[in-house]
Amino acid sequence: MRGLGAFRLSVLSTVLVFVVIPAAFIGIVSALVLAGNDRGHKSRRYRPGRPYDFQPIWYLASPELVSAPPASPAPTSRALAGREQRQALAAGVVEDSAGERVLPGPTGGASDRW
Amino acid sequence: MTVGEQPLTALAHPGGPTLTADPELDISSEGEAVLDGPFTTRQLLRLDEALRTSDQQTGLTFSVYLGELAEPVRQTAEALHKQVENAATAVLIAVSPNQRMLEIVTGSDARKRISDRDAKLAALSMAAAFAGGDLAGGILAGLDQLASHAGRH
Repeated sequence: MRGLGAFRLSVLSTVLVFVVIPAAFIGIVSALVLAGNDRGHKSRRYRPGRPYDFQPIWYLASPELVSAPPASPAPTSRALAGREQRQALAAGVVEDSAGERVLPGPTGGASDRW
Repeated sequence: MTVGEQPLTALAHPGGPTLTADPELDISSEGEAVLDGPFTTRQLLRLDEALRTSDQQTGLTFSVYLGELAEPVRQTAEALHKQVENAATAVLIAVSPNQRMLEIVTGSDARKRISDRDAKLAALSMAAAFAGGDLAGGILAGLDQLASHAGRH
């Protein structure tokens, strides 16, 4: 016969209940958190001011409408080399007083920066 | 059917792995570049849908270029715009996140339906979204504005 206050634990069960089980629980939870956290290599989201190091991409509903391959890794050299450039120059180059090229073509649009 | 009529696929080279063994063979180099891009698959799907519906509804050719633009930026964007077939009805949105610049180029026919003021309005809302770090949202918003200003054809 024992009273309520006379409930005793041996050293072994004390360590088991108060150290090993909490440690195992913490271990399982942190393992789950870490496993869910490493989403691949790096964050793919663009953040202003952080470098953006992706290949240039050209999105079109029907890619066959572009005369040059759209996924070429060097768009600048592609844009300024060969046929396109010669066509642009052959169309007649007008320069304003500042020496900036003014394209005679009636393309419109807008520019902005952030 | 002779051998010459057979289209050349990854499987046409004998001795290579089959598509089941190596499914990567099925993805073109362009497809890989798109999947390596800054967008998730869900964002890519929405972008594709937006491009297709705006093309269908307006009869114009919308395209989005995302990457570095060489100086002078405006001329580079216009050179890109010229590469699109029927450049007169093409609308190019060129975004350079590193330079923090965006250009909207409208062809001569497209300009009659999307005035420069409308384009500037779309550019403003795109820049606002980009400044908040939302590339996909900004592009979608810009496409939506440009397409609704162009109206149905």
